[in-house]
Amino acid sequence: MSVAQDTGGLPAAEPWYERAKATYTTLVDATHRVSSLYNLVNVPSAVWIDEQGRILRINEGTYSRRIFLGGKFYIGTEDYTPAVRDWVAKGPASPFVWTPQQVAAKVRRRTSDEALAEPTFKLGVYFFQRQDQDRARLHWKRAEELSPDSWNYHRQDWTFTDDGSSGRNWTEKRDALGDTPYYEPLDLPSVNPPPPDAVDVGRPGSTPVPR
Amino acid sequence: MIGVIDALRGVSRTAVTAGVTAAAVIASSAAAAAAPVMVLYNDRVVEVSRTLADPDDLWVIPDDLTRISGFALKGNRICLDRVCVPAPPNGDVRIVRSGQTWISMTELARQLKQAVAVDAERGVWSFGDVPATRASFLEAALAPDFTLPNRQGQPVRLSDFRGKKVLLVTWASW
Repeated sequence: MSVAQDTGGLPAAEPWYERAKATYTTLVDATHRVSSLYNLVNVPSAVWIDEQGRILRINEGTYSRRIFLGGKFYIGTEDYTPAVRDWVAKGPASPFVWTPQQVAAKVRRRTSDEALAEPTFKLGVYFFQRQDQDRARLHWKRAEELSPDSWNYHRQDWTFTDDGSSGRNWTEKRDALGDTPYYEPLDLPSVNPPPPDAVDVGRPGSTPVPR
Repeated sequence: MIGVIDALRGVSRTAVTAGVTAAAVIASSAAAAAAPVMVLYNDRVVEVSRTLADPDDLWVIPDDLTRISGFALKGNRICLDRVCVPAPPNGDVRIVRSGQTWISMTELARQLKQAVAVDAERGVWSFGDVPATRASFLEAALAPDFTLPNRQGQPVRLSDFRGKKVLLVTWASW
């Protein structure tokens, strides 16, 4: 089930769904509701949910494959899709399924400010959808102040600036992370390690993505 | 940030400084017709035509409370499923003016520890999730349910997929 965190709604998401020739469930989430409900702050993120509605994995950066961004820079891993397939085949016996304690430990906890960021961001979406961009940005800026770790709020906002969602703003903020990873690290045994000189741009201290 | 306040904090301030006099202030201003407001709740956008004129709090009639939030006045309590807040007559949450019962959604939110943001200039109130409804996610790792439109605009509900494994993936075009 794929959920577009896109204030621009279907017009923003549809070209990507078409190009992906998606046969799975494809949804549009203009207010970033799923990210808010699952306390996620970046995309792509995935949640494994079993037949009874229990969460088995959550809150990790989930590219389905390793993507090289020119030369030695990469994001993602070749190991994610095999892990999903293993879970589908083996169910709870899959070694990639977490215990409830592991899930609880991995769920991001929100501060009261981060909780307030959600209705604040929604105010911005309300005005954005009514073509009041200035008013939207007022509330989005406030949401970013309240939830500084939310890449989704920041990058959605930057989408509508000249700099874009992965421009200078993004590079500077990502470089300022220090020891904090850009994506919550994937806890998967690596069956296909990247080349020795490859640089994961999701990791701290890595060189910015060439643009 | 002129005209933009965090209602939750505003309510807290009102309670501390004005205390029981808040109801009296509202009583004197109730005669003034308040402009319609918009309320954002979960993914609903609800227009509310009947409110009390009050810069700090959002007062609605019980039918609108239910229409907006699902919470309903039952006796001296306001409840949604098993989540209830005491609402005695003429208390902080519930007052009667000229025979009409009014519910303060902002005071209700304060008691529920629910975040609220407001654009006071434009009359738009936005409510966060009720923390008490989040325990099954935070403590029992149960997947929060949601309903979102698919590409044909039809609503799709996560819980309709019970009995199947779901790989829920967020992404964005930006």
